[in-house]
Amino acid sequence: MEEAPLVLVVDDDEGMRTSVAFLLASVGIACETCASAEDLLRSPRLRPPLRPGCILLDVRMPGMSGIELLRHLKQRGCKRPVIMITGHGDVPLAVSALKAGAEDFIEKPFKDQELLDAINAAIRRSRSILEHSAEREAVEARLARLSRREREVLALVLDGKQNKEIAAALAISIKTVEGHRQMAMEKMGARSLAELVRMMVTPAAAPH
Amino acid sequence: MLRTPGCLLAVAVRTAAAAGLWTAITVGLCTAAAAADTVRVGVLAYQGSERAARDFEPTLDHLNATIPGVRFTMVPLDLPGVVMAAADRSVDFIITNPGSYVTLEARFAATRIATLEAGPLGTPTAAIGSTIIRRADTPAIAALKDLRGRTVAVVSTEAFGGFQIAWREMQEAGVRPFADLRDLRAVGFPMEGVVDAVRSGTADAGILRACLLEELEQQGRVAPGEFAVVAARPHIDMPCRVSSRLYPDWPFARLPHTPRDLARRVAAALLLMPPAAGKSWTAPLDYTPVHELFRTLRIGPYPRTAPSLEELARDHWQWLAVAAAAAVWWVVHAARVEVLVRRRTRELEHQIAERERAEATARRLQRERDQLSRLGIVGEMASTIAHELNQPLGAITNFANGMNRILESGQPDMAMLRHGVQAVTQQAERATAIIRRTRGFVRRRDARRSVIDVNVAVIEALTLFGAPETPSAVRIHTEFAIGLPSVRADRIEVQQVLLNLVQNAIDATREVGGGAISVRTDTVDGMVRVAVCDCGPGIDAAAASRLFEPFYTTKPDGLGLGLSICRTIVERHGGRIVATGNPQGGLTVAFTLPPAEETGPEETNDLEEVR
Repeated sequence: MEEAPLVLVVDDDEGMRTSVAFLLASVGIACETCASAEDLLRSPRLRPPLRPGCILLDVRMPGMSGIELLRHLKQRGCKRPVIMITGHGDVPLAVSALKAGAEDFIEKPFKDQELLDAINAAIRRSRSILEHSAEREAVEARLARLSRREREVLALVLDGKQNKEIAAALAISIKTVEGHRQMAMEKMGARSLAELVRMMVTPAAAPH
Repeated sequence: MLRTPGCLLAVAVRTAAAAGLWTAITVGLCTAAAAADTVRVGVLAYQGSERAARDFEPTLDHLNATIPGVRFTMVPLDLPGVVMAAADRSVDFIITNPGSYVTLEARFAATRIATLEAGPLGTPTAAIGSTIIRRADTPAIAALKDLRGRTVAVVSTEAFGGFQIAWREMQEAGVRPFADLRDLRAVGFPMEGVVDAVRSGTADAGILRACLLEELEQQGRVAPGEFAVVAARPHIDMPCRVSSRLYPDWPFARLPHTPRDLARRVAAALLLMPPAAGKSWTAPLDYTPVHELFRTLRIGPYPRTAPSLEELARDHWQWLAVAAAAAVWWVVHAARVEVLVRRRTRELEHQIAERERAEATARRLQRERDQLSRLGIVGEMASTIAHELNQPLGAITNFANGMNRILESGQPDMAMLRHGVQAVTQQAERATAIIRRTRGFVRRRDARRSVIDVNVAVIEALTLFGAPETPSAVRIHTEFAIGLPSVRADRIEVQQVLLNLVQNAIDATREVGGGAISVRTDTVDGMVRVAVCDCGPGIDAAAASRLFEPFYTTKPDGLGLGLSICRTIVERHGGRIVATGNPQGGLTVAFTLPPAEETGPEETNDLEEVR
């Protein structure tokens, strides 16, 4: 059973944010509202354990503007997708929003289906990010258990070196190389070299 | 115009210079003649030195013969020369005509020591007179007054017998020779020229010294009966025909510097002199009649004491001409100046009118610009209104869509629906409020100034327009001065300014998470001031100085026109708008408005009208 998503709505206009929350609630999407950027940054929902979901952000807000908030979130390493709502639909604002790492932008006034589609897409993306993120965390935890020599041997194995070459490079016996290699494979939980390679490459390729 | 007096002046100067030169030459001659042991006898050579020598050489020869040890030399002089010689004592004795002598007597204390006796014609006491002749065939000139308008020939206007004596007679007859004659023609010596002029008809009459006519007739140069004598009068002992009184003959005079002893010896010698060439000397006679003559004519030693205007005009006509020319020039100059001044005045008036037209055009353009900036305000307001209306409308749409989905889900959550309906109503009311409060701006765009109470305008703005927008975290305090003077202003514009400032203050206050805003009215330097004070983050000095510039903004989405427009409005009302940082943080923006002149209540019921 998938974890229930949560959408964070940030808008200084009360009518707007409550109505968006109402609309999302009507389709069963849980929602929390914030009246300002500062409110959002104080929200515990930004800290783990993270639920899948997205942030709906109005660009036009007093205090910290939507764009500034977006940049701030990205700097903090927040991987949650952000959908910007632009009041006047002006192109430069949309462009800067996307450059700052927005997942999508919606022009006001919007059709409800348009918003829901964007939110659902963002939620799916969020799930995917969270999964990749979990997998990578596991790999990193296993890597942390390797000894220094085991990590050196593993790095050369991933470079496609033969045991004999590794032994020469590290000035140890082939027997010792085989022992370290065996131990590293076990610690990483890789049943084959191909599995190890996939494990090591994917998290690095995963988007933030 | 300027040239005429200049020319006259130049002529006058040239004449004076010529006279001076002539005199200098004469004096030079006299000085050269005055040697050590010689006695210089000046002789009026009115007909040339040759004639003078002929007339008086015998006298000098007699003196030289009678008085040993002294050499008498004759110095021929003209009339001015006589005066000059007497003045610088270059001669010791002078033989001259009675007129000249009278002048010397008066001016240089010359003394006559003998009088000439000219022989058979007349006596020494009544020897000299004037004869005015006309051609015999011009009987119209019978009396002296008939000379008026005629041409009269004379030898010289300086001549004694040849003019001055006749002058007196003419003047007494009412004919002024220099004014009433057609021409007074001086023909120069010899005096026979006068006869010729009359004979030829170039002159209607001529003036001769007495007895010249008889002399000429004796010589056969004039035919008897050829000429008639005008106003001839009989004289005892005077055989000649004469037109005038008679005066004593020429005197032999000594000058004051001449030794008395020498003078006595000369006088004695003269009286003892036998007649020579018809001339002898007798006892000095009385020259009072000559003095009388000169006094009457105001000439010689009797220059006009109180000259009449007429005489002035006659005698100084050159200067009068200069003065008249100058006066005419001045009048013309004044007239020209007047014309120029009028023209310049017209030009100036024209320029002023043109400038006024230009200013009127500038004012009209300014009004049009104001109108445009008002349209700018409206444009910005329209944009603001659109944004503000979008919020409730968007919210209503969201609520409605949400409720639609709830209804379609088959198992509608009634509590949710109720909440949705309430929310829709709320948002619709909000939209209505936005429209209502913007209507006041949109409805009337033309500036309409009236006398308003600033406190009322502020209360109205805050209660009608401001309140619904004020977030809960922001409180607005008001402080109203009592007895504030009224101002003449466009109420809507003033309220626009105030609301703009309040909105800015609200935004600033919200940035710091809420607080109080104060709106205060008071008077400063006679101006009514409205100050909006917030406790927001404030701005630095550099930003404060640029705050009212167009397109300067500290808001991420601001256009930067609000305060610029506020300044335009306030300055158009004759006030100022300033922003100052508060000591305890935050910003105060205040604007002033001048109090209205006392023009009586005009439109004071503002509250009624806006509704």
